[in-house]
Amino acid sequence: MRLPLKQFKKRLPFGFTFGALSISIASVSTLAHQPVMDMAPRWNSGYGVQTRIEHTEAKTTTWLEGVYTFKPSVRVTLKLPYIDSDNTDRYASGTGNAILAVPLKRYHNNGAFTSNWGITPSVRMPTGSSNSKDNDWDTGLSLSYSSESRSVYQLYDFYTLDDKIGIDINYGFVFADGKGSSWFTLWDISAQESNDGERILTGPVLVYFKSNTIVRAEYKFAALDNDDVWKGDSISIGIGFVY
Amino acid sequence: MKRLISLPNILLLLGSLALAAPTFAQQYVVDVHGIVCEFCSYGVAKKVRKLDFIDPSQFDKGVKVDIEKQMVYIAVSDNAALDKSALFKAIESGGYKPVTLWRIAESGEKVEVQ
Repeated sequence: MRLPLKQFKKRLPFGFTFGALSISIASVSTLAHQPVMDMAPRWNSGYGVQTRIEHTEAKTTTWLEGVYTFKPSVRVTLKLPYIDSDNTDRYASGTGNAILAVPLKRYHNNGAFTSNWGITPSVRMPTGSSNSKDNDWDTGLSLSYSSESRSVYQLYDFYTLDDKIGIDINYGFVFADGKGSSWFTLWDISAQESNDGERILTGPVLVYFKSNTIVRAEYKFAALDNDDVWKGDSISIGIGFVY
Repeated sequence: MKRLISLPNILLLLGSLALAAPTFAQQYVVDVHGIVCEFCSYGVAKKVRKLDFIDPSQFDKGVKVDIEKQMVYIAVSDNAALDKSALFKAIESGGYKPVTLWRIAESGEKVEVQ
């Protein structure tokens, strides 16, 4: 049953919303593109793991993700979801389909500015539990550009996976304390179209870096929700470590 | 009193002062393009610290990154020689672009290392 947005908002206590924003990681529309792993690790033979929880009215998905950076221009990532949903007609609770991707990047460094263009082929594998609704192999592709100066970060990512096509935009400001940690305060706009309809989500993103730890939180408002599957607003929180 | 200011005692005192005088460590600084955030500096410092000529007793385990000026400061052990090629490779493997290397003289003046 699809609940109206106002009803969904009532289900999220004020304290929970802001508590989630203060501790978190990763984009809700995570399909072919790589939100946090897009930034790190950016060094040869680096690796990292992260976990994040993505909550919508329809389901709660816990992602376990890993990345290995052969060199800054070549990485491989693996994402494995675990889905928890009451809507058994639409979703199968349990392990979902894993996504394997190979982000390829070309970096440009000039003075106090760094940027990169990226192309990321990906494949979604039928690793879901036996009652999964989708046991097909799917392929995807992402084209991205991101840049960072001492004060501004921006990311533009066009992606496709299976029947989905979308764009994700992050833009915002960076604050470094000069002692090894940084805050990113970004605004995110995610638009996606698929056989299930279309949606536009937008909202604030907070990212915190300290040494080898990344924490990211997002809250997305459903500015347009004509998607038969998607349900209203969403929250994503998570934490990752790189080595 | 005369005993205290005898020549051997004066020589001993001068010798002690000479030993206690601070010696200026080998310090270098590299201009690194693109190193603009704390997380950028983490990867570069991690790679540079692995070089065997780095003196971990200075800066932060031998390395200090100034993201305001895109400068990476390194301390080199007294009994070691800096390997510029290895240093630049380490910075590149950390994801950024080293441009110019300077030695920091005792006076604080920067002298470019070719």
